[in-house]
Amino acid sequence: MGYVAVKGGTNAIEASIERLKYDRIKDEEILEVNTILATMKAMIDHVMSESSLYSPLLAALAIKQAEGSMEEAVFLMRAHRSTLPRLYYSQTVESESMLVERRISASFKDIPGGQLLGATRDYTHRLLDFELIDEDQNHNEQWLRDYKDKLAEIKALDGVQYFPKVVDYLREEGLFKRHEMDNEKPDDITKQSLHFPASRSARLQVLTRGQTGAVTSLGYASLRGYGQVHPTVGEVRVGDLPIYVAHPNEMEQNEENEFYIGEIKVTEVESFVPVTVKNEQNESELEFEIGYGICYGQNETKAIAMSILDQCLEHPEAEFPTHDEEFVLLHIDSVEATGFISHLKLPHYVTFQSKLDSVRQVKKGGFKDEN
Amino acid sequence: MMKRRKRTQILIQSDHRLAKDFAESIIQNYNCQEIVAPHYGLTMVKMRESAKNSLFYIGEVLVTEAKVEINNQIGIGIVVGMQDELARHLAIIDAAYKANLPETMEWNSQLQRAEQQVINKRAKEQAELFETKVNFETMDV
Repeated sequence: MGYVAVKGGTNAIEASIERLKYDRIKDEEILEVNTILATMKAMIDHVMSESSLYSPLLAALAIKQAEGSMEEAVFLMRAHRSTLPRLYYSQTVESESMLVERRISASFKDIPGGQLLGATRDYTHRLLDFELIDEDQNHNEQWLRDYKDKLAEIKALDGVQYFPKVVDYLREEGLFKRHEMDNEKPDDITKQSLHFPASRSARLQVLTRGQTGAVTSLGYASLRGYGQVHPTVGEVRVGDLPIYVAHPNEMEQNEENEFYIGEIKVTEVESFVPVTVKNEQNESELEFEIGYGICYGQNETKAIAMSILDQCLEHPEAEFPTHDEEFVLLHIDSVEATGFISHLKLPHYVTFQSKLDSVRQVKKGGFKDEN
Repeated sequence: MMKRRKRTQILIQSDHRLAKDFAESIIQNYNCQEIVAPHYGLTMVKMRESAKNSLFYIGEVLVTEAKVEINNQIGIGIVVGMQDELARHLAIIDAAYKANLPETMEWNSQLQRAEQQVINKRAKEQAELFETKVNFETMDV
């Protein structure tokens, strides 16, 4: 069979796109973007984090348009991002400035400032709540009134509290190494292709925008033995970080003349990892290092997994795939991974025919030899 | 005169009617020329990680930006999200401060009151959140 060049399919594609719309609206239910914003926060956080674009409204719109497909929503967000100008770079954000809404430690029960559970599913029964099928607005309003009445009795604090880092307390005790401030300009993988060995800044940027499932799986693989990192979570904190930008062209630049532009919610994790090091007497001793994880929104599993992978990639000498930065960094991006896998379903008629021809030739030759 | 960092924080965190009132008082009395209408763009967020104290980019945040000119002074309004009206008002207020308009002198007390309201609101919300603070009891075993 020779190669057959084909064209056409335009009508079928148009009909298919119509069919897509039909499938979305045929049940005559409209999901408002505001409903997604109010009730699908975890999904919005995943989409913002994986698309590396912080905008709850756009993420909700992408989820609606993608009919809940995460990979499609992230793709839409990345595509939209590419149409927008980058107007500013923020001043350096320090996570001590976070207005914390949740903060826990698995390492110490008594941490300065205390453990704040905030809103978490960690202690809920994983049983389906069938009452949600017929959720009643009046009932919800009554619940909210009762809850707010209860809250009204709580006296305000004297001022807003900011929490110290658990690790600072340990650094003061000399249990963790103090690192000097490293103000080297970070690499930006959206401006320059990733190259290896990757800088720490590039690694963190790739990890934080990695697909939640992929980052979690590789972090898990490291814990199970395909890696050498088994941390204790020193601190997980979730909260809002203030963002400031400098004036683009004022001669006099000082902190007081920066613009405050708003806040972004993030999850940040510091994992404590025991490592064996040689001391000055060349004796082996135990020391702790920190694996760092952070992502947009509240996504604690991803941030913890990122902290494991960060520590893995800081030790490339280990012979495990999770310590190999090319293996990790080139396979966790949602758009790249889903894009490459899904392109396999697109027409490959010519390449496949070529492979088929090769196999036929080999088989023909094989029969001749046997005869 | 209140500095930009503090005043933008108050104007964005408090009720946006305050920015609207300030901006409208300027529009009524001065020629405010729109240099750049509110439009959307990105701000790349630079963070310091706490393991090695190095810098990296966590990602971009969608912002609305506007620019307004008053008395040859250009003011900029930038705010996270899609907030056209607030960005325009912030730009007018920024231009008013840059042009040293007398109205800005009168805003200080209102800004300070608004700041206190924001602090009180956040302190109350934090106290409510502290209901979820864990009180450990050590068990005798």
